[in-house]
Amino acid sequence: MSARRIAAALAVFAAAGVTSAPVLAHHSTAVFDMEKTVEITGTVKDFQWTNPHTWTDVSVEGGDEAGIYGLEGMSPNYLGRNGWTKHTLKPGDKLTFEVHPLKDGRKGGFMVAAKFPDGTVLYNLPHREK
Amino acid sequence: MSRSYFLVPVIAAAMTAACSQVQSPAAAPTLDPATQAWAALAKYPDWGGVWEVDWRNERGSPPRPPMKFTPEWQAKADAYQAGKAKGENLQSEAANCVPPGLPGIMTQPYPIQFLYQPKEIVMLIETYMQFRQIWTDGRAHQDDPDLTFYGDSIGHWDGDTLVVDTTGLNPQNLIAPGIGHSDQLHIVERIHRLDADWLEITTTLTDPVVLAEPYTSNTYYRHRDDVIREYICLENNHDSADEQGRPGFSLE
Repeated sequence: MSARRIAAALAVFAAAGVTSAPVLAHHSTAVFDMEKTVEITGTVKDFQWTNPHTWTDVSVEGGDEAGIYGLEGMSPNYLGRNGWTKHTLKPGDKLTFEVHPLKDGRKGGFMVAAKFPDGTVLYNLPHREK
Repeated sequence: MSRSYFLVPVIAAAMTAACSQVQSPAAAPTLDPATQAWAALAKYPDWGGVWEVDWRNERGSPPRPPMKFTPEWQAKADAYQAGKAKGENLQSEAANCVPPGLPGIMTQPYPIQFLYQPKEIVMLIETYMQFRQIWTDGRAHQDDPDLTFYGDSIGHWDGDTLVVDTTGLNPQNLIAPGIGHSDQLHIVERIHRLDADWLEITTTLTDPVVLAEPYTSNTYYRHRDDVIREYICLENNHDSADEQGRPGFSLE
């Protein structure tokens, strides 16, 4: 997904023009590079179906990028109303995540989408087809 | 609004309960005061289900107009914006799970629900799992209220519109990013169901210290056949803000 497409998706949520940040209930997107979307392929170590955000630890093996990546995601309240459940990701699942990376270069970011081996894509951030 | 929204089942149940105790069919049913109080709720419009802010702007609402601040507070607003260039004011206390209070709590991403009680209307707010109490029993505002996140709310019905008048709000609440308010903030909300799908809340903020003129905005809420879900912000929070509004993010 292009950065422009993500920006479009976020713009949808911002359109109401309300003063508080609507996409992420309780914080801004300041720590994430929202202009940049990277793909991380690895093995799910843990999927925490919790508020105020879901949390996924992903183990990436081999190469310079190896390590555990911490991915913040939308809340169970949002995701539960948009097709996700606490069983959507399971430890041991191997898949690719689209992520807005942390600006400070640490291994983590905000989950944009989960791309499963069978081709299924589940969006985490609010998404609108162009 | 159509009368079909009225809470017919409530009064029917109340009448049935009362009539079952009446021995003579000739005698008019007499409801005890508690039953009368509950039966009286039948005249309220039906706002059942939950209501979610129109984030997707399905109604095509125009952007909200900017607030007009007094000179003193315009300077504060300018300083707040200037701080962003230094990496400050990028994150609010909400990142530390401090709820925003009124008015910010009314424009959160997750739904609200209304519960009718004989003396009050309770508003359940999913985001941060908060509630508001709106007294509808005819009482006046407190003379010297504690200043709280949700203030002292008095409600009355103007036809099918609930008018909520709130004072006694905590000046730490923000009315716009970086903008607090004085102890004179007065909020009037007019809440009205437009049709099967939409609820409208027209909110007017008056604060002679901060606002150069009263500020009125409309917020539309879409009906959802859903329930309020749990939201405990401190369950698993990786985000934070320091006193200057610099964001933090923990990978632990």
